[in-house]
Amino acid sequence: MRFMIMVKATRETEAGIWPEGKEKLFADMAKYHEDLAKAGVLLDASGLQPSSKGARIKYSGGQRTLVDGPFSETKELIAGYTLIQVKSREEAIEWAKRFPAPHGATADGEIEIRQLYELEDFGPVEAIERFRKIGIGTKK
Amino acid sequence: MRVMILIKADKSTEAGVMPDQKLLAEMGKFNEELVKAGVMLAGEGLHPSSKGARVRFSGEKRTVIDGPFAETKELIAGFWLWQVKSMDEAIQWVKRCPNPLPGESEIEIRQVFEAEDFGAEFTPELRAQEERLRAQLAAKKA
Repeated sequence: MRFMIMVKATRETEAGIWPEGKEKLFADMAKYHEDLAKAGVLLDASGLQPSSKGARIKYSGGQRTLVDGPFSETKELIAGYTLIQVKSREEAIEWAKRFPAPHGATADGEIEIRQLYELEDFGPVEAIERFRKIGIGTKK
Repeated sequence: MRVMILIKADKSTEAGVMPDQKLLAEMGKFNEELVKAGVMLAGEGLHPSSKGARVRFSGEKRTVIDGPFAETKELIAGFWLWQVKSMDEAIQWVKRCPNPLPGESEIEIRQVFEAEDFGAEFTPELRAQEERLRAQLAAKKA
C-alpha cells in the first residue's frame, strides 16, 4: 500500500520563513528520510514553495478560470509531502508518528496521511491499461 | 522546474465515487500527452479521508486523529508532479486538463523546492545525503 504524508502549511511556510533552528530541522528531516529509505519504504518527498508562487484553475460549467496565488486559507494548503510504500495503514501511522515536528521541535504542526489509489481500485476499465503503460498509479 | 498539481476533493471523491469510463479515458489521453511531452513525473489519486489519519504535533506530544475529516474543500483528492520550463507552461497544461470531477472543481499549481532554494543551512553534507537518497530512489524505480 502506498501512502502520502502531507505537511500542512502555516503562516511561516506561506511567508517563505524558515523556522528557528532550521539547521536542526533539516538534519532531522534528512535522518528520518534516510531511515525511510533504509527500510525500503521511501518513494519520494519534496517541499512546496509558498502559494504566492502558485495558481489555481477553477472548472465551472465548462469554463476554466485562472486565479493567481497567494491563497488566504493557509490551513487548507500543503507545504510538503513524503510518499511511502508500506504493508498496512498501521505501519504508515507508525512512520508518521516518527516524522520530525514539521515546523521546528517546539512548534505546533499537523501532518495528514492518505492512502493512494492503485489501478486495480478503478475496476476493469480499458483506459486503466493506458495509465499502467505510462507508469501512473502503479507501485514502483 | 518541478510543479505539483493538486486536485481538490469534493463530496463525490470523499464518498469514494470512482470516475466514470469517459473521464478515465479522457484522463488517460491527457496523461499520455504529458508523457509524450516529457512533462509527467508522477500522477496519483488518493482514497477518501475516511481511510486516512492526521498526526498533530504539539511540543513533544503526538496525537493521532483518524479520518474522515469534515472540511472537504481543504482536502486533496489527487495530484501530479510535472517537469516544466515555467509556471506559464504548467498553467497551459492544466487548462487542457479534463475537468477532474463530475461538477465544479479546482486544481492548484505549486512550485516544488529544489535543493538550491534552501540556502546555506542545507549544508554540503545534507546536500550529498539528499543526492544519495534521490539516486537510490531512481535506481529503485528503474
